[in-house]
Amino acid sequence: MPEALFTLIPLPPLLAALWIALGFALGRDRGEAGERGTARVALSAAGLSLLLVLAADVQALLLGPPGQIEAGTWLASGGVRVALGLRLDAFGLVMATLVALIGLVTLRFSVHYLHREPGFQRFFLGMSLFTSAMLLIVTAGNAVLTFVGWELAGVSSYLLIGYAYERPRATDNANRAFLTNRIGDAGFLLAIALCFAWVGGVEWPQITEGATDLSALQLGLILFGFLLAALAKSAQVPFSAWILRALEGPTPSSAAFYGSLMVHAGVYLLIRLAPLLELAPALAALVALLGLATALYGWLGALTAAETKGSLMYATLAQVGLMVLWCGLGWTELAAWHLVVHALWRAYHFLHAPALMHWVPRPARPVPAWLARRRWLYTAALNGFWLDAVGDALALRPARQLARDVESFEERVVHRLVGLPEQGSGVHSLARWEEARLGRAAPRHRYGPGVLGALMDSLSTALHWFEQRMVLQSGGGGLRRMVRVLGGYLQEVEALLSQPRYLVLLILATLVVIL
Amino acid sequence: MPDLSLTNSPPLLSLLLLTLPLGAALIWVAPRPSWARAIALGATLSNLAIALTVAALFERGDGGFQLVEQRQWIPTLQIHYRVGVDGISVLFLPLAVLLFVGVVLASWTKTRAMPRLYFSLVLLLEAATLGIFCALDTVLFFLFWELSLIPIYFLVSLWGVGPRRREAAVQYTLFMLLGGVPLLFAFILLALNHAELTGVAVPAGLSFDYQTLLQTPLAPGLGPTVFALLLLGFAVKTPLFPLHTWLPVVATDGSAGVAALMTGLKIGAYGLIRFLVPLAPETARDYGWVLAGLGVFGVLYGALAALAQTNLRRMLAFSSMSHVGLVVLGIGTLTQQGVQGAVFQLLNFTVVAGGLFLLTGFLHHRTGTADVAGLGGAARTMPLLASAFLLLGLASIGLPGTGGFPAELLLLLSAISSYPGAGIAALAGVVIGAGYLLGIYRRAFLGPVTSTVVAAAVDLRPRERLVALVLVLLVLVPGLYPRLVLDFTQAASSAWVARVNPAPPGP
Repeated sequence: MPEALFTLIPLPPLLAALWIALGFALGRDRGEAGERGTARVALSAAGLSLLLVLAADVQALLLGPPGQIEAGTWLASGGVRVALGLRLDAFGLVMATLVALIGLVTLRFSVHYLHREPGFQRFFLGMSLFTSAMLLIVTAGNAVLTFVGWELAGVSSYLLIGYAYERPRATDNANRAFLTNRIGDAGFLLAIALCFAWVGGVEWPQITEGATDLSALQLGLILFGFLLAALAKSAQVPFSAWILRALEGPTPSSAAFYGSLMVHAGVYLLIRLAPLLELAPALAALVALLGLATALYGWLGALTAAETKGSLMYATLAQVGLMVLWCGLGWTELAAWHLVVHALWRAYHFLHAPALMHWVPRPARPVPAWLARRRWLYTAALNGFWLDAVGDALALRPARQLARDVESFEERVVHRLVGLPEQGSGVHSLARWEEARLGRAAPRHRYGPGVLGALMDSLSTALHWFEQRMVLQSGGGGLRRMVRVLGGYLQEVEALLSQPRYLVLLILATLVVIL
Repeated sequence: MPDLSLTNSPPLLSLLLLTLPLGAALIWVAPRPSWARAIALGATLSNLAIALTVAALFERGDGGFQLVEQRQWIPTLQIHYRVGVDGISVLFLPLAVLLFVGVVLASWTKTRAMPRLYFSLVLLLEAATLGIFCALDTVLFFLFWELSLIPIYFLVSLWGVGPRRREAAVQYTLFMLLGGVPLLFAFILLALNHAELTGVAVPAGLSFDYQTLLQTPLAPGLGPTVFALLLLGFAVKTPLFPLHTWLPVVATDGSAGVAALMTGLKIGAYGLIRFLVPLAPETARDYGWVLAGLGVFGVLYGALAALAQTNLRRMLAFSSMSHVGLVVLGIGTLTQQGVQGAVFQLLNFTVVAGGLFLLTGFLHHRTGTADVAGLGGAARTMPLLASAFLLLGLASIGLPGTGGFPAELLLLLSAISSYPGAGIAALAGVVIGAGYLLGIYRRAFLGPVTSTVVAAAVDLRPRERLVALVLVLLVLVPGLYPRLVLDFTQAASSAWVARVNPAPPGP
C-alpha cells in the first residue's frame, strides 16, 4: 500500500462533517427523515478511517512503522515551511487506532441515543469533526498540523457542550470551556512561533532533535508554551474547572471528549515532548507536581461528587493526573500504557453512565468517614476547590472590568477629542455642549434661511463660545478651572493605578516594552 | 525607469475600471428605475469575470508589476494614467468585486428609495476602490482615494439605518479629507525629491510614477517626514488608534452594505504595504517599531472595547480594528512572513468582515435591531444565518480550516520573532478575541427566544443563501489550501522585503 495514502487518515470524518453541513444548508437533511442518511455517512467515514489505520497497522507489523510521511507542502513563506505530513510511528499508530475505534463505537452508540433529538445532524457533524481533529492530533507530523487538530477539537467540543443551546447554562459552560482551552492554544501558538525562530522548523523529529542545541531559557520558553497547551487540554490543575462544566453536552460526546479522548490529548503531547522534558528538570518537576495535584483533586472530588457523570469525570481527572505525573517523572512508557488502557475503559464507562442507575442495585456509597469528619476538606472538595471562582476573580472579572473601562475611555475621552459630537460638528456643537452643561441656553440667532443662514448661525455660536470661554474667563478664572480639571484627572489615574488590574497591566506593559 | 515595453499589454485593467461607470450611466438611461439593480448586478458580474481573468493571466513567479498600461494624462506635470498589478494587489481585485456582488445582492429588495442613485453610487464606489488597487501613479491613486469619498458620503447619509447617519457621513468625509492632505503632501514631496535628485527643472523633473519613485533614493532627512505624512494619512483609513472613532459610528449607522464595504476593504492597511514602507524604506527600518507598537495597541484596545459591546455591529467594528492591528504589527516586522500574512489577512477580511456585516444586515432587516437586547435565541428560527455567522466569526479569530488561520499564524510568527513582547501581547488578543466573539454570539443567537420578532423571523432566503454559501466557500478554500494565496504573493513580497532589508533576511 503506498504510504502517501495514509496521509488521508484524518480526512474521511472531516468530509463527512462537511457533507452533513451541506445537506443541512440545502435543506435536504433535516429532522427525523435525515437521521438515517446522516448516521450512515458519519459511520462509514469513521469506518473508512479505521480501515486505513488498520492497514497502516498491518504494514507496520510486517515492515515496521512508516514513520514520517509527507504528501507535499501545506504552507510556505520565506524560510517558513509547513509540510502536509503525518508521523506514523508505533505510538502514533496505536493512538490512531484507539481514536478511530472509540470514535466509531461512540458514533454507533449515538445513533440510537440521539434518535428523534432535534439536533441530531448537529451532533453528528460535531462528532465527525471531532473524530477527524483527534486523528489529526495523534498522527500529525508537525506541530502546526497538531495545532490544527487541537483547535478543531476545541471548536467541536464548544459545539457539543452547547448542544442544548437554548439552555443558558449549557452555552455559558461551552464558552467557558472554549476560553480556557484558548489560553492553552495561545501557549501552543507561542511554542510554534518560537520553534520556527530558534529550531528552524516544526516537524516533530526536528523539534525533539533540535532542542538539544538550545539554551536553557529558549528550551524553557518553548516547553512552557507546549505545557500550557497540554495542561489546559488535559484539564490539569489549575485549568481543571472547565472539564466539569463540559459535562453539559450529551452523554456520548462526554464519553468521547472528556472521558476518553480529548482529555488525553495533553498527555499525548507530553509523551511526544518527553525528550525535551528530560532536558528541563525544573519544568518536569513542575509537571509532576501539577499531575499529582490533579490526581488528588480528582480523587477527593470523586469521593464527594453527587452525580454519576460528575464522579466519573473526577475519577478520570485523577487517572489523567497520574499519567501527567508519570510524564513528569520521565516514565513515558508507563504513561503511554496507562493512557491506552484508561481510554478504552473510560469510554466503556461513560457510555454506560445513563444505564448505571438501573444496574447498580445498592444506593451510592456515602462519603468516607475520615473525609466527612474534616469539614473544611469536604466543603472544598464539594466545591471543586473553588477553581472556577479563582479563575473568575483572576481572569474573567478583570478582563470584563478592563473592557468597561476601555469603553468608557472611548466614550468620554477619545470620542470627545476626535469623535462625532452629539449634533452638528466642530466648535459649533462644542459650544452647545458647553452651554448645556452650564445650564444656559445659547442665544440662538437665525440670520436667514438656507445654507448661508446655517453657516452664519454656527459662526456666531462658535464666536459666542470662544468669547465666553476664553475672553471672559481670562485673568485666572479659566486657568484655575483647567488646573482643577487636570487635578481631577490625575486623581482618577491614581485611583485606577491603586487597583490591582492596572498595576498588573502596567507591569505587563513594562515587560512588553523591555522585551 | 518605467518599462515602456509593457505598455502594450492588453487593457484589461482599464476595462475593469471602465465597465462600472458605463454601468452607472446605463442605469440612468434605463426606462425603469427597477432595472437599476439588474444592471448593477450585470456590470459587477462582468467585472468579476474580468478580475478573474486578470488573476488567471497573472504570472505568479514574477515579483514585478504586470498588465501595466500607461497613457499621457497631464504631460506638463509628468502625471500619467498608469495602472498595473503585482502579487500583492492582484487578488484584491476579484475579492473586492465579489464583495460588491454580495452587497448588490444583499440590497436587492432592501433598497426601495431611489434605486437608480443607490446602485450607480455603488458602482462608482467599486470603480474607485478597484482604481486604488491598480493605480501606479501617486496622483492617480490620490484621485481614486478621494473619489471614493463621494459615493460613501451619499450612501451613508441617504441610505443609513441609524439616527445619526448624517453626522456619521459628515464625520467620515471630514476625517478622510483631513487624512488626504498629508498623503498629497507626501506625494508632492516625493515628486520634488525626484526632480532635485535628477537635477532637472521642476515641471519636467517631477515624477509621480510609483515605480520610478521606488528607484529614487530619498534626500537625507526627508525619510522621516514622508513616513510620518503617509502614516498619518493611511492611519485614518486603516483605522489606527486614536483615529478610529468614525468606524463604530459608520458601522452602526450606515446601511449594512456600506458597513460591509468599509470594514471589508482595508484600503488603509493596503496603503501602508504599498506606499508607506517601500517609499521610505530606511525610515521604515528605523521606525518599524512605531508600526508594531501602534498595531499591538490596536489589537488589545479593539479587543477590549469589543468585549464591552452589546451591539453586533459595534462589536464587529471594534473587532475589525483589533484584527487590523495585528496586520499592522505584521507589516511593522518587515519580514516576508509578516507581509505575506498581512496581505493574506487583508484578503481574508474582505470576505470575513464584509460577510459578517452582510449577515448582520440580514439579521437587522428581519428583527429591526442588531443589539443583543432585542435578539436572543436567533439560532432557533434562523439556523443557517446563525451557522454562517458562527463560521465567519470563528474565521475572524483564526480557526484552523479557514483562511484566518494561516494568515494569523504567519503574522504571529513574524511578530514573535521580531518583537517578542508585542507578539506575546498579541497572543493575549487571541484569547480575548474568542471571549468577545463567543460572548456576544451567545447573547444574540443562543438561549431561549424572547422577542416576538425573532420568533417570527424566517431563515435565509435563496438569494441570501447563495451569498452566505459563497462567503463560506471563500473562507474554507484558502484555509484548507493556503498556497492558493501564498503562491501569488510570494515573489512580490520577497521583492518588498528586499527593498527594506537589502541585506539577506534571516531564517
